[in-house]
Amino acid sequence: MAAPETSTAAVPTLYTYNTLRNAFGGVLSFFILLLIGVMAFSIRLFSVIKYESVIHEFDPYFNYRVTQFLAKNGIYEFWNWFDDRTWYPLGRVIGGTVYPGLTLTAGTIWWLLNSLNIPLSVETVCVFTAPIFSAFASWATYLLTKEVKGTGAGLTAAALLAMVPSYISRSVAGSYDNEAVAIFALIFTFYLYIKTLNTGSLFYATLNSIAYFYMVCSWGGYTFIINLIPMHVLLCIVTGRFSSRLYIAYAPLVVLGTLLAALVPVVGFNAVMTSEHFASFLVFIIIHVVAFVYYIKGILSPKMFKVAVTLVVSVGLAVCCAVIAVLIALVASSPTKGWSGRSLSLLDPTYASKYIPIIASVSEHQPPTWPSYFMDINVLAFLVPAGIIACFLPLSDASSFVVLYIATSVYFSGVMVRLMLVLAPAACITSGIALSQAFDVFTGSIKFQLTGASSNTEVDAAETSSSTAESQTDAVKTEKPEETAKNRPSRKSKKKEREHGEKPSTKAKAEKKRLLALPLESSVISLLLLVLLGAFYVVHCVWAAAEAYSAPSIVLTSRSHDGLHVFDDFREAYAWLRHNTDVDDKVASWWDYGYQTTAMANRTVIVDNNTWNNTHIATVGTAMSSPERAAWEIFHSLDVKYVLVVFGGLVGYPSDDINKFLWMVRIGGGVFPHIKEPDYLRDGQYRIDSQATPTMLNCLMYKLSYYRFVETDGKGFDRVRQTEIGKKYFKLTHFEEAFTTHHWMVRIYKLKPPKNRIRGKTKKSKSKTSSTTSSPKRSGTKKKNPWQ
Amino acid sequence: MADHFFTFSIITLSLFVVASSGGLESELVADLLTLQAESKSGVIHLDDRTVSKFLTSPRTPRPYSFLIFFDAANFHDKPELRLRELRREFEIVASSFITNHNSSNTKLFFGDIEFRESQSSFQLFGVNSLPHVRLVGPTAKSLKDDSDVMDQGDFSRLAESMAEFVQYRTKLTVGPIHRPPALSKMQLGLITALLLLCLPLVAKRIFAGETLLHDPKIWLSGAVFVYFFSVSGAMHNIIRKMPMFLVDRNNPNKLVFFYQGSGMQLGAEGFAVGFLYTFVGLLLAFVTHVLVYVKDATAKRLAMLFTLLVSFWAVKKVILLDNWKTGYGIHGFWPSSWN
Repeated sequence: MAAPETSTAAVPTLYTYNTLRNAFGGVLSFFILLLIGVMAFSIRLFSVIKYESVIHEFDPYFNYRVTQFLAKNGIYEFWNWFDDRTWYPLGRVIGGTVYPGLTLTAGTIWWLLNSLNIPLSVETVCVFTAPIFSAFASWATYLLTKEVKGTGAGLTAAALLAMVPSYISRSVAGSYDNEAVAIFALIFTFYLYIKTLNTGSLFYATLNSIAYFYMVCSWGGYTFIINLIPMHVLLCIVTGRFSSRLYIAYAPLVVLGTLLAALVPVVGFNAVMTSEHFASFLVFIIIHVVAFVYYIKGILSPKMFKVAVTLVVSVGLAVCCAVIAVLIALVASSPTKGWSGRSLSLLDPTYASKYIPIIASVSEHQPPTWPSYFMDINVLAFLVPAGIIACFLPLSDASSFVVLYIATSVYFSGVMVRLMLVLAPAACITSGIALSQAFDVFTGSIKFQLTGASSNTEVDAAETSSSTAESQTDAVKTEKPEETAKNRPSRKSKKKEREHGEKPSTKAKAEKKRLLALPLESSVISLLLLVLLGAFYVVHCVWAAAEAYSAPSIVLTSRSHDGLHVFDDFREAYAWLRHNTDVDDKVASWWDYGYQTTAMANRTVIVDNNTWNNTHIATVGTAMSSPERAAWEIFHSLDVKYVLVVFGGLVGYPSDDINKFLWMVRIGGGVFPHIKEPDYLRDGQYRIDSQATPTMLNCLMYKLSYYRFVETDGKGFDRVRQTEIGKKYFKLTHFEEAFTTHHWMVRIYKLKPPKNRIRGKTKKSKSKTSSTTSSPKRSGTKKKNPWQ
Repeated sequence: MADHFFTFSIITLSLFVVASSGGLESELVADLLTLQAESKSGVIHLDDRTVSKFLTSPRTPRPYSFLIFFDAANFHDKPELRLRELRREFEIVASSFITNHNSSNTKLFFGDIEFRESQSSFQLFGVNSLPHVRLVGPTAKSLKDDSDVMDQGDFSRLAESMAEFVQYRTKLTVGPIHRPPALSKMQLGLITALLLLCLPLVAKRIFAGETLLHDPKIWLSGAVFVYFFSVSGAMHNIIRKMPMFLVDRNNPNKLVFFYQGSGMQLGAEGFAVGFLYTFVGLLLAFVTHVLVYVKDATAKRLAMLFTLLVSFWAVKKVILLDNWKTGYGIHGFWPSSWN
């Protein structure tokens, strides 16, 4: 392994040449990295170019609103923010229930820009946070992969990560969500862990804890880190790779990291009290025991050590048993054994589908099929196995971490399609390693054959283009035990050797290895095919970024024969609410639209996408599933002035409220048993045509969606359900239409004011509604005489 | 007074009738109890004769209800009907009911009818599709029209939902469901004994540092296997209980291995593509890490040829399959002057 060092020492001219080459390589890598960053940023701008600079979807609107608040009121106000614009009349403590990382990051960027007199709006900063952090993430990938397998692999991995579709899907411009910064934090934490592991420096260990803290601030997925790193530590201990560097990499992370994590309000004492974190504490104990054993082993003679081992084993076992018993008792005392439902469904994949329908129902919690992998990591799926094998040749602490990372993340992604996002960096790292080594081998073969084929025979040739892989593999083959021993301490020499090995050098003839090259023509063809594969990857990623993942879902477009249609109904509706209703009016809608309503219309909502109170959601679901009068009473009791429904029947927008309606019924029925799902189904089928059940045709959702719908085409043909609606002509008694957008996608209704209590009239209405279910609230007005 | 006498006579009269028929009924119940005791799970096996004896012949109201599972041994191998599983669950409900009532409840009996041996009973009940569970109440005159059919929805949560159905319809409580433990006590003891025996050996090897865990090859194959397992969507197959392949509806001799539409996949399809994903990677690793060190030039050439052809074919196949399955038209964005 130390071959290059001896060679450079032997030949001084060579030394200067090499430093020059290294410097050149360094500058080149720097510019390549810069370009990779530019690419990562710019490939995510399709959404801005095709649509406009706008925040996407639902959750980002909430983050945007929080950031606005932070920018306006400052950090302390933000920390103590009680939001009364949502979950009316309960409200929500925002400061204590959000992961503040993203908001603080964007807020800081905005503050920094403004103090530099660059007057960007908060919205612009929010829109472009995700692309900026994608560039950071690809640089972090470079650093991480470089620690594992050298600069070449690092650059390849960074380039792959810059455009991996899975990551693009969560980080296009405008997608202002936690994952945007969290993936960067994840990779960077892993990098610092590996760096500490390789150097044994306490400085990096401290940085690692701080990076972990940033990750905890940013995303609930930090539990992946705090389980993966202990797993790796345990793996190292079990396979006899314990070292002081491992101790330094791990112990400060657990102590500092846990303390820091507990500072984040949303995590708080969860950092020490939930089962997701217990693995790290268990391994923390184990690593101390192991370190102690190694220490004792060092100071005692072998014979004394044996005596000590028997002593320690007996005492240690007792202590371990006690600790484990306490842990088990702690875990068993909580109903879910201390695990959250989502974590449990990762461990037992069939758990969610059996017990938690609400987790199982979310589309991003579904298990993926093979096309999902091809869509999200594309050709990397072919390269990963080669990368895994490369990590084993030779197996170092760092490469074993990569193997563990890819194995766990690929398993988790198999359970939940959402975790494909965690797999993507691992896939990029391993594919980067595989690609870079393959390129090394093929280009090396070509160069060797072109330059040396005439003079040397293949077998005896001193390999000129020793790639890291080849030299290392060779070393493994011939002198494995020595290699593993040397591998770790001689980081510096290894690094030099790597940089040296990156570029083919005809001068390294001192390496008398019997490395062989591949046939020329097949190398050329393989190289071409690999380039073709890469080109296909680029085409796929650009297509995915441009077509599949850039739609903001707040503005919709459709392309028909007569050109491009833009459906901007959502913003139209929210703008109407903002300008035509009173500031303190309450708007009821299904929870999907809660965040958007508060952020864009600035009106108070009853429920929103932070689904923390099931009863409240069920109340709205019940109102939507009830007949008009009962619904009016529920809404009136909640102080609601306007009801907003999303209707796609006119333009064929499939994710509208009618299609979500069964969930409203289910969730409503879960709390209020008088709402029964079978009442809305005809023979188990959900339909809205003339075969629909009377309950369905009389419920509020149906009426608000299809009110006056027949006036559009005379038949009332629903383009989403592909059928004519069942009840076409009806009047609303307790609601009045306030506003319907251009394409009828959003319809806003106003609750009629309560009627004057004229004696005759109340009686009349009472007799009318006596057959339907009326809420018990009104029972006060009914003077029921059993003798009548 | 006369009025009173009249009532009294009616009561005595009806008592007499009840008593006379009661003798026959109690005989039937006793028969059923013995049959129930004979059966292992408490499910009484019915055939045409016993159906007429216990259900058609006695006058209504019968003193008991009957929950009947319609079984067909020749359909047991059809996984989509789930007959075996449902039957097992049915037996669990039956045995739980019996143990919870100490075998003394004579209001409800559980029975099963096999299609081959009692076809006329199937006709009698008008059963033409499986799985089928029916509750014959005490007052049901016509077995076909008066009895309650258990819906698909009542099977969904297996024994628990069947028990709810029984409680809802008969007003009899089933009580807690007793499932047999996954491992019997005997097996559990055996496993513990084996573990205890192995413990010293394992401990010794761990201290010596020569376990399987120290062999990178194990880790390597494990990691590659996990990768193959996940990218083939095996988790999807397990969670959704997807079959390996389907039989073509139009042509029963033809098997469908590939399902069009990206939301779903069949088992064999996933494994085939997962294999292609993994295999190409392994070939690449083979070329970069093994083939380089082969000395024989022709062997090298042949292996390279093979690798290139297979990899090219596999990648092309996956791309085409993906295009076919998802229907996405993936295209490049070229300068418009090129068109």
